[in-house]
Amino acid sequence: MTADPARLGEEMAAQRDLAPRFVAFGVAIVLAVTGLGLRLFQLQVAEGSSYQAYAEQPLAIERPVPVARGLLYDRRGRLLVENVPTFVLRILPAEMPFEVRPDVAERISRLTDIPARKIIERLDARTGSQYEPVRITDVSTETARVIAEDPRLFPGVQVDLEPRRQYLQGKLMSHLLGWTGRISGPEYQRLKDEGYYPEDLLGKAGLEATYEDVLRGTYGLELVDLDRQGLEVRAPDLLREPIPGRSLELTIDSKAQRNGEKALKWAMDRVGIKRGTLIAMNPQNGEVLALVSLPGYDNNRFAQGISTSEYRRLLKDPAKPMLNVAINEQYPPGSTYKLVTGAGALADGKISPTSRIKTEPFIEIGEWRYWDWNKQGWGPLDIFDGFGHSSDTFFYKVSGMLGIDRLAYWARQFGFGKPTGIDLPAEAAGIVPTNEWKERTLNEQYFTGELYQAGIGQGYNMSTPLQVLNAYAAMANGGTLYKPQLVRKILDAEGNVLERVPPEVIRELDIDKSVLRTMRVASRRVVTIRHTYNLVDLPIVVAGKSGTSEFGVRDSQGRLPFSNWFVAFVPKDPRKTEADPTGLAAVRREDSDLVVLAYLDDTRTKGNAATEVVKYYLQLHYGLKTDLRQGWVLERGNFYNLNS
Amino acid sequence: MSTLRLEPARVGTLTAREGEGRWYGFDLQLAIFALSLTVIGLLMAFTNSADDPLRAGSIFTRGLTWLALAAIVFVASAAADHHWLRTFVWPIYGTGIALLLLTLFIGSGTGGVSRWVSIFGLQFQFSEVSKILLAVVLAHYLATRSARLGSVRTFVGAGLVVLPMLGLVLVQPDLGTSLVFAAILLGALFMSGASLRWLTAMVLGVLAMVPLAWQVLLRDYQKQRLISFLDPAADPLGSGYQLQQSQITVSSGGLFGRGLTNGLAGENLPVGSTDFVFARVGEELGFLGGAVVLTLFALLIWRVLHVGWRSGDTFTLAFSGGIAGMLLFQMIVNIGMVLGVMPVTGIPLPFVTHGGASLISAALGLGILESLAMRRSRST
Repeated sequence: MTADPARLGEEMAAQRDLAPRFVAFGVAIVLAVTGLGLRLFQLQVAEGSSYQAYAEQPLAIERPVPVARGLLYDRRGRLLVENVPTFVLRILPAEMPFEVRPDVAERISRLTDIPARKIIERLDARTGSQYEPVRITDVSTETARVIAEDPRLFPGVQVDLEPRRQYLQGKLMSHLLGWTGRISGPEYQRLKDEGYYPEDLLGKAGLEATYEDVLRGTYGLELVDLDRQGLEVRAPDLLREPIPGRSLELTIDSKAQRNGEKALKWAMDRVGIKRGTLIAMNPQNGEVLALVSLPGYDNNRFAQGISTSEYRRLLKDPAKPMLNVAINEQYPPGSTYKLVTGAGALADGKISPTSRIKTEPFIEIGEWRYWDWNKQGWGPLDIFDGFGHSSDTFFYKVSGMLGIDRLAYWARQFGFGKPTGIDLPAEAAGIVPTNEWKERTLNEQYFTGELYQAGIGQGYNMSTPLQVLNAYAAMANGGTLYKPQLVRKILDAEGNVLERVPPEVIRELDIDKSVLRTMRVASRRVVTIRHTYNLVDLPIVVAGKSGTSEFGVRDSQGRLPFSNWFVAFVPKDPRKTEADPTGLAAVRREDSDLVVLAYLDDTRTKGNAATEVVKYYLQLHYGLKTDLRQGWVLERGNFYNLNS
Repeated sequence: MSTLRLEPARVGTLTAREGEGRWYGFDLQLAIFALSLTVIGLLMAFTNSADDPLRAGSIFTRGLTWLALAAIVFVASAAADHHWLRTFVWPIYGTGIALLLLTLFIGSGTGGVSRWVSIFGLQFQFSEVSKILLAVVLAHYLATRSARLGSVRTFVGAGLVVLPMLGLVLVQPDLGTSLVFAAILLGALFMSGASLRWLTAMVLGVLAMVPLAWQVLLRDYQKQRLISFLDPAADPLGSGYQLQQSQITVSSGGLFGRGLTNGLAGENLPVGSTDFVFARVGEELGFLGGAVVLTLFALLIWRVLHVGWRSGDTFTLAFSGGIAGMLLFQMIVNIGMVLGVMPVTGIPLPFVTHGGASLISAALGLGILESLAMRRSRST
């Protein structure tokens, strides 16, 4: 640095001091090189032959043998889903030289619109073997051909066929069938011990998810020997025979399903109702014939791998097309709940079929007035007419006799407050409030006004449409609460019946049959008393209960949106006869084989829109020649004076 | 021989010839050892080209291009007066950090990792250049503290100089390269004459932090690599794959090797031309070829140290110590990895590995060393 002799001397001294360090560093170099050299000698000369013997030994690996997923049929044997082959582009990292990766990724990117950067990222994110193909994307037949025509441009790129679900009914059944999709990271971690593989497909929603174990079958396992190039040396050994997935025959009748969709859609489109559901079920065994929830979504989009933006759009849609209105959400059951109040009071002996209770314009508790919906009352009524007119003051008084905890007991008997157990995921439980519930959640005792509200299915009560339907089914069949079910039979790959799914009884209601008969007659009175005037002239006997629940976000004038319910049962031979022109005799029987419910969210119609939906459905179901629809019921109007 | 003459900022008492390159001081051995290793690397690139090695864009032709560039960098940096390095040491430090930041922000990712920056379609790893820049800055810092090398403050200061760069590499994340930075620090401190006591304390401190690093710093794939290093047979087609394959490949070479282009490694050594290039050397050139490479490295590193030895000034000592530390560490880790005695890291084998950034930065380092050798403050 400098020629100053003094400093020069210092540096020379420093250099002398450092001599041992040079020696030390030199020794380190020699040791390192010698060590590595010895290891090299060991590998190449001393033990070389044993390594070579090892290398020439083929590498045995176990590989899954996939099986075809089981199919789904409706109750008449119509196919609902197919496995169709789809082209999938994969990259085998071992066969793609590192240097050409950017070029090949760029070429793939041009064919598939996936950024080249993403492709490289996916290759690098792989943690497994070089011989484990990395799935990039599904490709069209066109793209598959382009790649197959010039494999030299695409080293390491494979295009394979893979079965993919094709739902033949599309949107019609999406809420029921659900869809299969690619296994996610967390799902794989959870399921890898059960024979799932990375990139496997599994049922993610609907019956595809519930019956995953049945439909999937069991993958086989084979042992393959690979040489050093990763090629199979000989035909693989089958270690475990694959067991094909089993198929399901549903209780759903796709024709009934289509009728339900048609009826619901007609009413909804007419006035622009956003959400609704229709369920039809056989009350004798809980077999669901139709379950429609609108709006729906196209499950084929999911089966083919939906884009994130499209998925996000579906999730953000205020009409919530991904949710099944029938089971995934809960609403106040409104007047349909009067079945519980009435039957409970009869069973507890608080009232008898002949007791008369005075109905009034309103009942006053302190400063609060609890109005009857017609603001007048009807004078003294028995249970038949009280239910028939849907008198609110009648049921206020009856619920006052029962008390909240007894009311809750009967609600639970009818299946409220607990998922019905239908074979679909994410069923809501509903809420049946009790004193204990209120103390626990709101830290308050029940007061009388709230009890009155509970007696007419308002206030804190919440139920799913399926719960309401199932309660009426138990009334219609004389007291057996069945678990609603969607699958009747489990079939093998050839369509032979392996197993019939028997009806499942949740409970026999703790209610005398005569009480239920009374309530069935009262349900028929709803129609004959012209409370649901638009159903009187039907040539078939329909009994049921309408309901209007106020629920949601208040509008600018402080009014709550209201939603319409109608739940009905039809006796076995439903045509009106000379002997029984009112149908009151027919409904005394316990032979009903059809219960139907319609629920429409935020209707704002002049009349109860749900009654029109059920009527139109029955018209289609029984093939009635005359069109009984009364469109004016569905006109926009202020329903607030016309509470059910 | 007339050379590009650049005047340093400080002239002062320098003699007339001071600062001017004296090519007779050029360390020819250094250049020859480095060139030999590079040629072996190119040979491997030639035999590694899957198709026509002479095709434009093949590994071999690209390797030739990089060699030409590296030669220019080498000659230019040897011809340039190294005193400029000390004049512009802070801009150099800034450049080193800027390159790493650039990598972090515009770098190409591999599963959340950004290490490369693409220039004209070529992937370039800036952290390689940063290593040399760090060695320059570190040497300068130690030179300014040459009177107090034994003090603990020198240690802390040197650590602070390294820390930003090391941290930036660590968050890329590139654990291997950050360890190389540490090796440069260690080499520079050791050879400049820093206190052995504190050096030992520093090494022990770093070792004590290993369990913490396992918990906090290492990503899953890095842990997987370390685990598979300990037991490569556990998952033979998985992450232990390269390890086992490379040992099998090496062992197939025997004493004399299969001969050039006779290797099979390209088919089952996925990165046979880059990080695992030594496996291919062992396969095609045998134990003898491998021993030649090891010997060349030993001679080269010794020669690097020799530049420092001959000069005796702290800057040169520290710089050559840093470069020697870097070369020794990379050689041990890379060849050790191929031979199955070190875990898999992405550290290249200097000169031999096919990789532009690695070669250019090595050429830059050696060029500076040559400049230091030619412009010693006193003659031998």
